[in-house]
Formats: sequence, C-alpha cells, structure tokens
Amino acid sequence: MSKFKLANILAYGFVTLFSIYVMMPIVVMVLTTFKTRREIFLKPLSLPGQYNFISFEKAFGIGLGGFMFNSFIVTLFSVTLIVIISGMAAYVLARIDFKINKFVYLLIVAGFAIPPAAVLVPLYTTVSNLGLLNSIFGIVLPLTAFGIPFTVILFFAFFLDFPREVEEAATIDGCSKLQIFFRIIIPLSGPAIASAAIFQTVWIWNEFLLALIMLNLDNVKTLPIGLIKLRGEWTSDWPAIMAGLTIAIIPVLIVFLLFQKYFVRSLAGLGK
Amino acid sequence: MDKKSSHSNSFSLSNDRFSVIFLIVPALIFCTVFIFIPAFWVIIGSFYSFGLTSLNDWEWVGLGNYVKAAQDEFFWIALKNNFIIVFASIVLQVGVGTILAAILDRGIPYGKVIFRTIIFTPMVISSVAVSLIWLIIYDPNVGILNAIIKSIGLSPPMRGWLGDPNISIWMVMIVAGWQYTGFMMVLILAGLQGISKEVYDAAEIDGATGVSAFWYITLPMIRNILIIAILITTIGAFKVFEFIYILTQGGPSNATQVLGTYIFLQAFNLLHMGYANALSVVLLIIALILGWLQVQASRRA
Amino acid sequence: MRNFLSRFWTYFFLTFITLSFANSSYAIDIKVWDLSGRSGQTELYEILDKEVKKYNPDINVVLVEYENEAYKTQIQLALNGNDGPDVFFNWFGEDSARLARAGLAMDLTDYKNMEGGYGNFISEAWQNAGAVDGKIYGVAIKAVSKYFYYDPAFFDQHNLSVPTTFNELLDTCRSIRAIDSSIVPWPMGNSERWKLNHVITMLNQRVVGAENSKADYALTASEDELFTNPKYVEAWQKVVDLQDAGCFNDAPNATHPDLTRSMFASQISPMMYCGTWCGNIFSSEGFEDFKMFRFPRVEGGADDGTVGFLVAEGLQVSTKTKYPKEAALVASLSVADDVALADAELRGSLISNPAKIDQMKDASHWFTFYVNDIADKSGHVNVLDVLLEANVSNAYLDMGTEILNRTKTPQEAMDFIRKVALEAKAAM
Repeated sequence: MSKFKLANILAYGFVTLFSIYVMMPIVVMVLTTFKTRREIFLKPLSLPGQYNFISFEKAFGIGLGGFMFNSFIVTLFSVTLIVIISGMAAYVLARIDFKINKFVYLLIVAGFAIPPAAVLVPLYTTVSNLGLLNSIFGIVLPLTAFGIPFTVILFFAFFLDFPREVEEAATIDGCSKLQIFFRIIIPLSGPAIASAAIFQTVWIWNEFLLALIMLNLDNVKTLPIGLIKLRGEWTSDWPAIMAGLTIAIIPVLIVFLLFQKYFVRSLAGLGK
Repeated sequence: MDKKSSHSNSFSLSNDRFSVIFLIVPALIFCTVFIFIPAFWVIIGSFYSFGLTSLNDWEWVGLGNYVKAAQDEFFWIALKNNFIIVFASIVLQVGVGTILAAILDRGIPYGKVIFRTIIFTPMVISSVAVSLIWLIIYDPNVGILNAIIKSIGLSPPMRGWLGDPNISIWMVMIVAGWQYTGFMMVLILAGLQGISKEVYDAAEIDGATGVSAFWYITLPMIRNILIIAILITTIGAFKVFEFIYILTQGGPSNATQVLGTYIFLQAFNLLHMGYANALSVVLLIIALILGWLQVQASRRA
Repeated sequence: MRNFLSRFWTYFFLTFITLSFANSSYAIDIKVWDLSGRSGQTELYEILDKEVKKYNPDINVVLVEYENEAYKTQIQLALNGNDGPDVFFNWFGEDSARLARAGLAMDLTDYKNMEGGYGNFISEAWQNAGAVDGKIYGVAIKAVSKYFYYDPAFFDQHNLSVPTTFNELLDTCRSIRAIDSSIVPWPMGNSERWKLNHVITMLNQRVVGAENSKADYALTASEDELFTNPKYVEAWQKVVDLQDAGCFNDAPNATHPDLTRSMFASQISPMMYCGTWCGNIFSSEGFEDFKMFRFPRVEGGADDGTVGFLVAEGLQVSTKTKYPKEAALVASLSVADDVALADAELRGSLISNPAKIDQMKDASHWFTFYVNDIADKSGHVNVLDVLLEANVSNAYLDMGTEILNRTKTPQEAMDFIRKVALEAKAAM
C-alpha cells in the first residue's frame, strides 16, 4: 500500500489524461460513423441514435478495398527491395577497408537527409520519362530509393557489431563471399531485418506526397490518396468519411496490437 | 591461416572486387537515379526561371531566385513556421514524451504496458487519416471541440480553430503532437530501461529519490538518446507536409505555410519552377546539415 | 534453403513484372479526364462512347475522374508528363488559354467542320468561348452560373421580400438575425478560398464595371494605373459590410463549402449564393422548394445588375495525345445533339447545343429558370480564379481570406494585389 503515494497518483493522473487525449479522436471517429448527418449538425456531443452500417457500405463502395490492396502491394514490394538492397550495401560498407568507404557512406547519409518535397519536380519528370507514371512499379522504385539510406545506416551499425568469426570459418570451409552473405549473414540478421522492415512498412504504408504526385488513376491509388479522394467526394458526409477512415485504420491497428512487442524492441534498437 | 585471434582485419571484402560491386551497385543506382540526380537538377534549375507549362523554356536568372526568396515575406513566414514547429515539437513531443517515459519507467507500479500501447498507437496511423480525423474535431460548425468549449461556458475563436492565423499553427502542432509524442516516449523509455536498478539504489543511499533522482541521475544518463530524439524531431519538423496540406493548405492566407507546402504551392499552383527549386535548395541545405548532425550524434552514442 | 530462396525470388519477380503490365489493352483508348462528384456522369460518358462509335467503332472513351481541388494541379503535371489524358476538362478563361499558349492544348480549328466536328453542333458564339487569339483550343460544352437561392417558405413566414439591391440584401440579413440571432442568413464556406472569390467577382463587376476592369485583369494597364481604381477597394468594403450585417457564419475560412450547401438544403439557413450545379445537389439532399434571384445591383455601381456570372466549361485536347484526330472527334461529339441532351438530363448542365432541349424529360424548375435567365442576361463575367493570371488570382483568393478574418483592410488588400500584379506584369 505504501506504493500509492501522492506522486503515484499524480503520475497516474497525468498518464491517464494523456491517454484520454490519445483515445478521444479515435472514439469520436468511430462514433461519428454511426451518426446521421442531421445528428452531427444539431447534436455534436451526443451519442448516435442508431447503430447501423450504412456509412460503412458507402465507404467500401468507393473502392477502399482496392486502395488498401494497392497499398499492400506497394508496401510489400518496396520493403522487400529496400531490405535486400540496403543489407547488401551495408554489408560491403562494414567489411571493406578502402577510404572510399567513408565517402560512399556519407553519400548515403546525404540521401537520407534529402526530403522528397525538395526534389519533387525532377523526380516526377524522371518517373514520367521512364514511362512509369500511374503504375505500381513507378511508385515502388522511388519509394525504395528513399528508404535505402536510413536502412543502410541501420544495417551498417548492425554489421559493424557482427563478429567476423563466422565469416572466417566459412571462408576456411571454402565458401565464396557472396555465398557467405546470402546463406549465412542474412539468416543471422533476423533482428536487424525485423527492425528495418517494421520501420519501412510503417513509413511506406502511410506515404503520401510521392503517391499524390505519381498515382492519379483510381486503380493504382494507395490508401492515403484514396482517403483524400474520399474526402473530396463526400466533403460533408462525415459519417461516410469516418467509416472510410475506420476501415483504413483497423488493419494496421490490429497488426500493431499483435506485434507491438517487436515494434517497441526495434525502436529500442534505434536508440542505440 | 590460423588467425583465431582475429577481429577487424581478418575477414574483409577488400580483395573481392566482384562481390563488392555486386552488393553495392543496386543501392547506388537507386539512390543516384531517384535522389541524387533529381537533387542535382533542382540545384541547377534554381538558377533558371521556368514554369510547368513551359518546361522547355529555361531562362537564366543566376541568383535571381535566391534574391527573390530573401525578399519574399511568405518564404520567411514558412521558414519561421518550420522553426516554430521544431521548437514546439521538441518541447511538446520530446519534453512530454520524456515525462511520460519517466512515469512509465518508474513512476507507476501497474499498467505500464497498457499505457505504452495506447499512447504509441497513433504512430501507426497514417498522417493523412490523423489529419482528417482532427479536421472534423476542429470544424467550427459540427466539431466536438467547439461543442465542448461551449458547454463549459467559454466561446470558441470567431475565425475558427484553423481559420485564425494566430492560433492555427498551434492547432496543427496539437495534431502533430498527438501522433508523434508516443514515438518519443517509447524511444526514451528504451533508454531509461537501460539504466540498471543499482544506480538508483546507490542514489537513494545518498538521499536522492523521485524527481531529484530523475533530474540529477537519469537525465544525464540518457543524454545521448535525448539528443537523437531531438534530432529526429527536428528533421521531421522540416519534412512536415501532410498535416499542413490537409488541415490548412498553408492558410489562412499563408499563415501556416511551411517550406514543404510553400514549395508545392510555388511549383504546382503558381508555376514558378525555378523559384520552387531555389526554395528546395534551401530546404536541402538545412536537411543536409541536420543529417550530418544526426550521424555525428549516433556515432557518439 | 537455396531451392526455396531461388523459387521465392522467381515467383516474386514474376508477380512483380506481371502486375506492372496488368493494364495493357489493344483498341484505341481515348482517356478523358473530368471532375468527379457529378451525378449521372458515368452514364453520360457511356452515351458519348456510343455516339463516338457511330463515327469510329475502334474508339473507346475512357473516363477518369478527379476531385475539384486537386484537378488544377494534376492536369498541369499530367499534360507535361507522358501519361496524361488525351482529352480533358477545363474552365475556359485564363486556365485554358495558358495551356494553349504553352503548347499543351491542341489547336482544334481545323477539326471544326469535319464529320462529327463541333462546328456542326454549336453556334459561333459558343465556339469562340474556347478561342484564344482567334484559334479554337477547346470545345465549349456548357456554362455554369451562380444565383442566390432562397427558401420562399421562410421568407413568406417572416414577411421578408426578395432583395433587389445590395442595401436591401444587407437589410435582409439584419432582419433575419433580428428574427433569431442563431440563424445564419447566408452561410459562407470559404475554406477552399473560392467561395468568396465568386462574390468579389460579382462585386467587382457591379462596383468597378467591366470596362474599367478589363485592362487591370489582363495586366495590360500601365504600371501607374494597374489596380489603382479606388472602386476595387469599395468592392472589398462591400464584403466587410455583408459580414458586419451578420450575413455570414463565424469562422467562414474554416467552413467547407459543401457544409454550407447542406445547411441550405436542410433549411437551417434561408439563403445561399450558389452555382447552377447546386440545384441538383439540393434536390439530392431532399430540398426542392427553393427559388432563385440574381446577384443584386449595387447602388451607385457601374452596372445595372443584369450582367451575370458565367464560366464556360468544356473539353480540350492534349498536344501529347497519340491519336489527335480521334481525340478531337471525342471532344467534338461531346456537344452532339443526343449527347448534349443527355448532358442536360443527367448532369443538369447548361449545354451549349440547345437543338434537342425541348425533348428534355422532366426538366426541373430550377433548370428551366437557369436556361431562361441566362438567355435573358445582357452580358457575362468570368470568375476571377479562372480569368486572372495565376499569381494575381492567388492574391485575390488570399485577400478574400484576410478580409473575412479582418487581418487586412480593403485598402491593404488592394495594395497587396497591386504589388503582385506589378510583379506578374513585369514577368510577362
């Protein structure tokens, strides 16, 4: 009982207040899906008078399912490419003794600092000239490029700490360098791969700016752009918009809640 | 060949040109094509004047675009807003995040995981969705924020939460803080959990407990994590786009403009590509300086 | 391990490549970009497709829709890229002229009288709506105008009369507030900046007048005179007067236009200045017993109140299309007799080809009003955000926000606009 001093009460109070601040918008969002538009106008603070799924039907009707599928494909391909390419590059940087090593590393860090907004127009022109606008391929490539620097840095730190005995033993056994990388290093890099994959997945799933510029056709739009379209179509049909948002958020939330231990652990790794 | 004592120089790829090239070229190609070449064009393009509807009509203006930026009141407003966001984010997200982390670390005996999960959740939601949700909360006609304020007898701002140039940037910060504070909290919490209990026990013997222990013992020990958290927040504050774009579009009348949205406006609405490029170069320079600081900081951690 | 990995990568890349080629087709697809959110549009384009196939069965008309706000940006980007539309919607004014001058919109003059050409369907006046420097760069399909909508039941119940002058409009607002201060007489949703822009367009027309504003709008006035006419300030002052009379809601800059439409349609507010596209919207939200009146004349103003708001809209053809003749055909046939009739019936458009208008089924009372009233007006004014040079247009949009927020006085607003106009003129 001596645990519950005043400091504890204050602490609980603060954390609870903050948690309410966090949960309130989500609760508002879900409740709004069940209200009618008149209710929203006239009685904003009240609970909905009915609980039906009309607004959800509308939201699906606009193609949310398709947008989520597109986001899924884009994220899957981008993250896979990023992890593999970054892992390869970071391994080289961690195992090479040339002076040029430093230069390349700095170059890659520079890549990390460059925000997409700053290079939007030439980037658009490049993708357009490659004939890749409005295609899944066309958005995956630039997203991969922008995800590589950060992931290289992450893998680089990991590989630096990675003991070389295993690789030496493998060399003695006659494996070529590439074999060592693909058959030994990668399988042993589980934690780093998980961290990288988690970070990049969250970032790419939510990526907005590049998708806004490059994906104009409905059949390739990703979820964030699809949500904007939702709003454009029904600007004052708030129940429908909120239903759309709820549908958009739920899968990610579920994944997060199931795997939250890993999310947190990978963040802890970042701090080191 | 019996180098069991090994460390750094025993296994190295330095002699294997083929492997090196094979492994590093893909990353270099991607980054060059999609990051460095566009950045190069942005820098070159900043010395010219051309528009979206006259993409082949480049007119040399030298430093003209930079001079224009220096005299452009909206550029300075955008830059100022980015800095406001930086400092406000540091205070709110890192500051409050640290307090929350401290509470979750040693301040409360039960419920740590639940609170941590709840507070971190907004991070996995798309910034676009977050902004849309807050739009309806802030709506002056149907939003619940107004309803709550009125129900306790106060009157909400006459121009609307997002329509009032004096407070709109802060309302945007509340949204950003809602999403990112949890991230900072978890980051710092990880650092706190690396401090062993013995340190606190020793401090207690010397009479330092609770808040003073936090101030004199904990904070210095997580100094490196705090620096990284501040840097991540700062870099993010310069990259901010979605929140402004959806909540205010830079308005009312450019009051919440930031570099990212201002570049977008100049390039795609007003068709001043050359000028937009000059603004982008400014953003690039700032971003590069911050990136370099980030690398230095994580090297020392 | 190796077998699994290599199989995995094979399937991975196969899927990847397949998905990226998923969208190929073999006929002539003419992509038409148009605004979204208009009911009946999909059926209309199916009718257009049928009409086009009468002339050339290999053409498929493919409709792609964009919502209004993003459209202006997207279209410029797309026209410069390689994957843009073949045919696209545009507002006729500076917006369409700019593209023509930049070589992004195709000259359609030669297609006028071909088989299925637009010259067969629309009058010269309408053809010239899409003209730039004597050549035709777009097919004008329809026009939109704006009116004051009001709730006659409310007006009758409270003995209000329809205002015919600006001061009477102010009085109407004050009377409504006197009846019940919580009623917003005329909801103003300016969060996207164009709602007030439409009002200042009309106020400029009424107060400054067409003759006096022509040179300023075209940036051809001399540097000493550009936008110096004090009447422009007076026009902005009228907005302040409207706000002071209690016409608008609080926080107009944070209110979305769609919401204000809902307010009128739910009869929460008795007046609304809205476009000819709004009649169908109100009807779809359940309110049809409204009536309309013109934007009142301003006492002491430069015009007599008969000039109305009119923006011609239509289709342009991209110079980057791979099928210029086919694209021109699709654009032309959008004003063919049957298609125009369908447009009027499905989208409620005020069409440029009235050949079959008498056959229109169930013309709504508001549609009949629009058609008759537009024919009746003595002249038309194009809206400022379509008419003006991009930077000046942006300045006008921003000043609308500031006037409503009272962060700038009318004089300060015009000083700013003049400054921007001078810079734009120098850059020309």
